[in-house]
Amino acid sequence: MELSDANLQTLTEYLKKTLDPDPAIRRPAEKFLESVEGSQNYPLLLLTLLEKSQENVIKVCASVTFKNYIKRNWRIVGILVEDEPNKICESDRIAIKANIVPLMLSSPEQIQKQLSDAISIIGREDFPQKWPDLLTEMVNRFQSGDFHVINGVLRTAHSLFKRYRHEFKSNELWTEIKLVLDAFALPLTNLFKATIELCSTHANDASALKVLFSSLILIAKLFYSLNFQDLPEFFEDNMETWMTNFHSLLTLDNKLLQTDDEEEAGLLELLKSQICDNAALYAQKYDEEFQPYLPRFVTAIWNLLVTTGQEVKYDLLVSNAIQFLASVCERPHYKHLFEDQNTLTSICEKVIVPNMEFRAADEEAFEDNSEEYIRRDLEGSDIDTRRRAACDLVRGLCKFFEGPVTGIFSGYVNSMLQEYAKNPSVNWKHKDAAIYLVTSLASKAQTQKHGITQANELVNLTEFFVNHIQPDLKSASVNEFPVLKADGIKYIMIFRNQVPKEQLLVSIPLLINHLQAESIVVHTYAAHALERLFTMRGTNNTTLITAAEMAPFVEVLLTNLFKALTLPGSSENEYIMKAIMRSFSLLQESIIPYIPSVITQLTQKLLAVSKNPSKPHFNHYMFESICLSIRITCKANPDAVGSFEEALFLVFTEILQNDVQEFIPYVFQVMSLLLEMHKNEIPSSYMALFPHLLQPVLWERTGNIPPLVRLLQAYLERGANTIASAAADKIPGLLGVFQKLIASKANDHQGFYLLNSIIEHMPPESVDQYRKQIFILLFQRLQNSKTTKFIKSFLVFINLYCIKYGALALQEIFDSIQPKMFGMVLEKIIIPEIQKVSGQVEKKICAVGITKILTECPPMMDTEYTKLWTPLLQALIGLFELPEDDTIPDEEHFIDIEDTPGYQTAFSQLAFAGKKEHDPVGQMVNNPRIHLAQSLHKLSTACPGRVPSMLSTSLNAEALQYLQGYLQAASVTLL
Amino acid sequence: NKHSERLRKFKNKGKDAAALRRQRVEVNIELRKAKKDEQILKRRSISFSLMDESLSLGEEKRNEVIQLSLEEIVEAVNGSNTELQLQATQATRRMLSRQKDPPINQILELGIIPRLVEFLTHADNAPLQFEAAWALTNIASGTSDHTKAVVEGGAIPAFISLLSSQHMHISEQSVWALGNIAGDGPLYRDALINCNVIPPLLALVSPVTPVGFLRNITWTLSNLCRNKNPYPPLDAVKKVLPVLICLMEHEDKDIISDSCWAVSYLTDGSNDRIQIVVDTGILPRLVELMASPELIIMTPALRAIGNVVTGTDEQTQAAIDAGVLAVLPCLLRHAKPTVQKEAAWTLSNIAAGPCQQIQQLITSGLLPPLVELLDKGDFKAQKEAVWAVANFTTGGTVEQVVELVQSGVLKPLLNLLLAKDSKTILVILDTISNLFLAAEKLGETERLCLLVEELGGLEKIEALQTHDNNMVYRAALSIIEKYFSGE
Repeated sequence: MELSDANLQTLTEYLKKTLDPDPAIRRPAEKFLESVEGSQNYPLLLLTLLEKSQENVIKVCASVTFKNYIKRNWRIVGILVEDEPNKICESDRIAIKANIVPLMLSSPEQIQKQLSDAISIIGREDFPQKWPDLLTEMVNRFQSGDFHVINGVLRTAHSLFKRYRHEFKSNELWTEIKLVLDAFALPLTNLFKATIELCSTHANDASALKVLFSSLILIAKLFYSLNFQDLPEFFEDNMETWMTNFHSLLTLDNKLLQTDDEEEAGLLELLKSQICDNAALYAQKYDEEFQPYLPRFVTAIWNLLVTTGQEVKYDLLVSNAIQFLASVCERPHYKHLFEDQNTLTSICEKVIVPNMEFRAADEEAFEDNSEEYIRRDLEGSDIDTRRRAACDLVRGLCKFFEGPVTGIFSGYVNSMLQEYAKNPSVNWKHKDAAIYLVTSLASKAQTQKHGITQANELVNLTEFFVNHIQPDLKSASVNEFPVLKADGIKYIMIFRNQVPKEQLLVSIPLLINHLQAESIVVHTYAAHALERLFTMRGTNNTTLITAAEMAPFVEVLLTNLFKALTLPGSSENEYIMKAIMRSFSLLQESIIPYIPSVITQLTQKLLAVSKNPSKPHFNHYMFESICLSIRITCKANPDAVGSFEEALFLVFTEILQNDVQEFIPYVFQVMSLLLEMHKNEIPSSYMALFPHLLQPVLWERTGNIPPLVRLLQAYLERGANTIASAAADKIPGLLGVFQKLIASKANDHQGFYLLNSIIEHMPPESVDQYRKQIFILLFQRLQNSKTTKFIKSFLVFINLYCIKYGALALQEIFDSIQPKMFGMVLEKIIIPEIQKVSGQVEKKICAVGITKILTECPPMMDTEYTKLWTPLLQALIGLFELPEDDTIPDEEHFIDIEDTPGYQTAFSQLAFAGKKEHDPVGQMVNNPRIHLAQSLHKLSTACPGRVPSMLSTSLNAEALQYLQGYLQAASVTLL
Repeated sequence: NKHSERLRKFKNKGKDAAALRRQRVEVNIELRKAKKDEQILKRRSISFSLMDESLSLGEEKRNEVIQLSLEEIVEAVNGSNTELQLQATQATRRMLSRQKDPPINQILELGIIPRLVEFLTHADNAPLQFEAAWALTNIASGTSDHTKAVVEGGAIPAFISLLSSQHMHISEQSVWALGNIAGDGPLYRDALINCNVIPPLLALVSPVTPVGFLRNITWTLSNLCRNKNPYPPLDAVKKVLPVLICLMEHEDKDIISDSCWAVSYLTDGSNDRIQIVVDTGILPRLVELMASPELIIMTPALRAIGNVVTGTDEQTQAAIDAGVLAVLPCLLRHAKPTVQKEAAWTLSNIAAGPCQQIQQLITSGLLPPLVELLDKGDFKAQKEAVWAVANFTTGGTVEQVVELVQSGVLKPLLNLLLAKDSKTILVILDTISNLFLAAEKLGETERLCLLVEELGGLEKIEALQTHDNNMVYRAALSIIEKYFSGE
């Protein structure tokens, strides 16, 4: 393409069309652009348009198109992917690099951003080697005095250098950084000083200040990037300049820079926040050099905290600042900065307590955005919140000053509780703060599963519980002071391991009662607390709270739980559903009387949510609850399975017919569970479904594969004979599924599960005609892509085959495919790879299979295969005695990642639909080592003298020693 | 031996011990200021010695009024008047010896270096030889270009022959000059060695050599051992080494220090280089010196031993047998961060060895100081301590790993997930995976999960799932998926 007006015109037309809402116009235009993007001058045409076009939308569109073009094509991948040629010719590359910086700097902000992105993409590839003048070009602009330009340069520099913050140290990286430092550090320092001076000369000019502060923020960010990997000589020499200025910026305030916005952080906050980060970086990494400056920063940051308001816009700054103090106060050599009682009191009083207060914003979230509130408060997604930072500071201070800090706060807690007592309805927030303070003071270690596991011994948790928590929960109205109720329930939840069991038992009816509270947070917390209490372990690995202790509450518990699901805002509340699941699991057979009503409610819920599944956790626990209902009931009364099928199949059919993708994997699992409950021959209702399960479309979705395989396995276990007699025409379909699965690296193991079930359960004659084809398919896959996972499954399969059909049959089938094939499989696969097999059952199958090959396969004794006999035996002994070989060749490490589809299709396994591990060898062989000894003994009696002579010639000494151990244990000798 | 080979492969999961051991230099580029505790490469002679002062005192008086301009110097040096030659050379030397900003470049531009080199050969005029040697010493102490000018002026053979001068102060000055030339880099170092500098240099070492002189010789010898790419020739090393070993027994701390530095250079290389040093049987002495209260002795001795344990298992064992493990606890707790770091690095390489050596490490009580360092040490030292723990968990037996965990390593290790260094984070995540592998073998996975969560590790690992470094986030993700997903 020439750089002509005509071409500019054409391009303009097409760009315009790409903005058209009508896909019939848009798509062809996009296609056209893509088809010409390999032509010379194309990027230059775009650059011309974004600079000179008359229409602003074309300018912007050209800039975006250009950025995307660079993103797709700049990187030369030719070395990796041969078919992808370099789309940008060298002269275009040179021209782009020569023009883009000035173009970016002279463009309006919208376009500047796109070009700045493009520069960093190009820079990532070409800088510094292939773009040597970039730095000088940028640095020269610092002199321009035009802060619009300077900010453009700084932004670009930031996007180029920010990778220094996360990349690994390497010669290449450090060479680049050194180059950047040599060219950039001094000009940046001068710019920093000059900008600060300009800030004071323009102290009264709001718009100038804004630009200057934007520069300072970028400069502070660049400082962070450039100092991240190591402390550069330049910055060590100039530490005084930087740190003195950073320090004074921290203490600076200017009314003109204060914003009215309560939410969004202003420039001043952003700058100070970054400075806190910079100071924290130095304090952590370059302590030795930074030590002289640190006390000043501690004081400044502390003063900053004392003077900063409660508004949300300060949150990031405040939490960064507190985190800085928290990390410093833990270091032994800075202990003295905090030691003084007045200092400690003042930190507690002025920094910690104010940041623990329940703010208006929290109250709003509690009422209107309870989900978010719960996530922050309960699940620890509060990393950047003030409360959390304040807690961390308490913990940090407790490392050296636990006694004094506890003392100071105890006084505080008491006074706040007194305030509350004076007038609860006005002062309830004081009690909230008191509870929070006690909680953060007392908790030293915490887990989701157990709550607090280590507490501050100076705090009496039970006393506080009895005196201040229980009274709130015992009050007649469950809807009064909801925040305090939530606090109280949370207190039980997190201190459940500290509070004595009798107190927990007293709390249980209170919690059940609060399931009725209107506040979403309160009834959610109640459900969650119950769920957590029910998972607690007592002695003997049983639950702490027993079904017997719960007996008086079963009905009210179940009623309130299901009723809670009808409260506004909680119809798909995952905490409640999880509590239902956990209650079932704890109560076991005591729920049986309520099952009819329960299963009705659950199926109704299922039907309702299947219209539009939106809460994956809720749905998951719902299916778990269904599985539990089935298990518990059928364990007591196997015939009840029919009633479940009756209740569920209708909904299941609807789910399958409407193709509710999220639920189908669950449905298959529940069906597997139901089918496995049947003791007799497979019911006809299931057989009717069988052909549908083989439909290829079902197998397209990755999430379906594991549960479908599981279901087909259940079919084979229960109905292999029925299939062989009544549905023999479906066997090719079944094998088709197997064929599809083993072709995929991600799913081949599932294919083997299916194949193993076929081999184990189907009558031999029904699959006779397909056997050879199965082996050929496996060999094809082996040739095309041999992965460790495939080999492992393959080994298990051939050994299972050997157990089922005999060693001779195995040898014959291999050799019928190709002469001497059996020997090759032994030599190239079984002997070298057997060590990789993992899993108890899998190893047992292989051990028994190999034993058969060694002792029940005549060709192993009297053909050319004989030379493999001892190596095979040695491999078997290795399987018994050597640690598992879990090495994976380097080129296989990423297979799983590239083959694993995104989250939404991932398979969600139901714990309570699980089946126990199946051992096809079973009681036939209990101890594979003894079995080997006995089998060898049998073999040696059949051909006396041969076995000992084979052993003595080539079995290594160590293996022989092990073998002798087995023989001794089995009390046999070899003849 | 295939069996043990495989077992070893298994234990270290594909990495063999050599890959776990980390040589001193991972990255040749330095962003930092040159280390203050490194040995000095080149030295200028400012106030030489008492002898010089007394010698120059008289001259000073005589020459008090004589101030020579640069032009006059050039003229005098190039002239034939020996008196003026001496005066001018002395004036040059004096300028070059002044405390601040010696005008090396200006002198260089005068073009008098070849002439000064020529003066070195004036055996009949010892004062002139001496002044010229001193002036050239100081020029050679400058930048590489300065040294180059001296060498290209032909100074190497001249100085080497002056080693055998009957005037001790001339011989000593030559030693110094040669030290500066050798210190420039491997190229000149080898040029000197090829000119056979070593025999006459070693011949100067005798029981009656004055201490000051001996210090200079030791320092020059250390520069002849210094630098890599390439290493000094093997036969040269073999000649120097026995003398160094003797010098290490001297009572002067500077001599001990510089001979230790020399040995630290000789061990900073491939295993066959290390072996030559190990074979001299010097390790026990080095370990003894590692415990010296003198920083200038302890630093290079620690370096040398640190280098030895980057070698083979057998070489490491030799260091262990020499008692290194008894000395390390003290060094790990040293007040100076660089010493902590060096000691931790040494420990990390011992921890990369077979489990028998790891066992010795445990028995010698190294876990408590390691954990302390991980908790409270300087960041540089913490990074090395993390490596030590990582190597320990890779090569240690399950029982040893349990002992490590019981010594409280987990808490400080997990805290360091907040470190501002991607590599350290990745190494910690790998270590956590190793710990889980051990826990799995013991059926203690769940307990470890709880421990990690209790100690605040889980939330840190969760946060790392959004880390910008691909490998870090993948490692974090895989731990979460394997051990912390679901109930």
